[in-house]
Amino acid sequence: MTATTGKVTGAAEAVARLVTPGAVVGMGGQNINRCPMALVHEVIRQGIGELTVVGCNLSLPLDMLVAAGLVARTEQGTGNLERYGTLFAWRRAVERGEVGVGDHSHLAMATRFAAGALGLPYLPTRSLLGTDLLADMVAAGYARQDVDPWSGVPVVLLKAMIPDVAIIHANRADISGNVVIEGVTSHEVDMVRAARATIVSAEEIVPEGTFADRPEQVTIPEAYVSAVVEQPFGAFPTSVYRAYDFAESEIREYQALGRAGDEELRRWLTANVHAGTDFDAFLTARDPEGSLRARLTDQMRSLV
Amino acid sequence: MTTPALEALPRELLVVEGARQIRDGDLVIVGTGLPLLAATLAQRTHAPGAKLVIESGVMFPRVVPTPVSVVDPRLMHGASRHGSLFEALGGLVQRGLVRTGFLGGAQVDEYGNINSTWVPRSNGERIRLPGSGGANDIASHCRQVVVLTDHERRRFPRRCDYVTSPGFLSGPGARAEAGLPPLAVKVVTDLCVMEAEDTALAVTALMPGATERAVLDNTGFVPEFSPSLTTVAPPAPEDLRLLREELDPACVYFPERKSR
Repeated sequence: MTATTGKVTGAAEAVARLVTPGAVVGMGGQNINRCPMALVHEVIRQGIGELTVVGCNLSLPLDMLVAAGLVARTEQGTGNLERYGTLFAWRRAVERGEVGVGDHSHLAMATRFAAGALGLPYLPTRSLLGTDLLADMVAAGYARQDVDPWSGVPVVLLKAMIPDVAIIHANRADISGNVVIEGVTSHEVDMVRAARATIVSAEEIVPEGTFADRPEQVTIPEAYVSAVVEQPFGAFPTSVYRAYDFAESEIREYQALGRAGDEELRRWLTANVHAGTDFDAFLTARDPEGSLRARLTDQMRSLV
Repeated sequence: MTTPALEALPRELLVVEGARQIRDGDLVIVGTGLPLLAATLAQRTHAPGAKLVIESGVMFPRVVPTPVSVVDPRLMHGASRHGSLFEALGGLVQRGLVRTGFLGGAQVDEYGNINSTWVPRSNGERIRLPGSGGANDIASHCRQVVVLTDHERRRFPRRCDYVTSPGFLSGPGARAEAGLPPLAVKVVTDLCVMEAEDTALAVTALMPGATERAVLDNTGFVPEFSPSLTTVAPPAPEDLRLLREELDPACVYFPERKSR
């Protein structure tokens, strides 16, 4: 890394430097959209384990990390792929007691990130009241029931969630780490602002000053970003809004293996993640001619 | 184009009855699947002014067929804003601006509580389910929750094994005592419609052809039947045409229609 390239680095270097064994990892993306797949592949290749993975909806990237045996605990709102089913490796590991799990509602987790993003110890919510979900969160130590000091109505205080490192994939970043995300941002902006460090992979790295004429369109300012990695199709097989649709065939194939068992998923990881040296090698192996990527790009163009 | 004169399928009836729960001008929070089809059907028929909110941050989209995820670009199409979970579930739902929410779950109990976290196996071990997502937030803050589900005994226990999302908790008054706003719950199944407001779910209508016996045999608690029990009106031909030709033309959520 030189002075002229700012925070730009490779995925392997960024992950080796910022994702440490036992870290609390804030996971970007949601369901089939903008999951940081290239960065997650790199975590798997480097075998960085004992991770606590946190986020709202945790989907494909979490399941791969669990299948690789790298996850000790998750704190999340949901673990699933909606239409494409549950997260099979995660579900089995949770049921066997190998992965600890801390349930939240999505607003509860988003509120915990918001507290972290504001430098506050906690923020209140009026969700959760009266439920077993609240009882579990209180027992786990990150929620407390209290009352509003003004009105006396019940509220739940939610402890700030501060990931050691957040990993997200974005449409564009400049070399200083200013980030533009198109489409929905799910929980990611506050998660990044709360995190101690953040790695952003982006479809495209653009020169300093590219966003200068539209600074209000910067989704995440450089103050929060530690490293930026250029990786076209870095969310594949999940989608990036305005860039490419999700690859249903790839997601179905992974889920069919997940349903079959952990050994099937390990073989998939060996053949698809460990076999290549980087994410470009994976993309080329899955889609040698680039025809799938071209079709996903066309599909997205037809929808926006 | 002419529509084959098919009888409505049971799950098409669910969608059409679900659509009827939406009033014109409502803000409605939905996910994907049958609830989204119900909400978009309502927009295309009696509730053109109903607006959709999606938990991922999509506000007021003009949906194109057929989204399979809350972040599907088909569901983000034509939106007035692409925001965040915090904006959708905090700024709109917790803020009290969203009247109706559609929810699913593995269990719905007598008091309209919903479980989407875990259920026990017969040997006592737990089957892990996806978890709350936005469901707890929606059930905590919306004024009306609508559940569309197949009517199976295991889905309707007297008490949920785990309360993920609050209905009326332990019974009348419990919701207010917990600090939650009032709620109406409506459960639409392939056998009946059950409704409650701070009470136990009671059957208010039967699906065409369904019997009280079938409802009792397939429910884990004993619901009361309304003295003014009605039969759900069959779908209008236009409802079925919209569902089949425009809202889910590829039968993504109706595999049973494809095979007919």
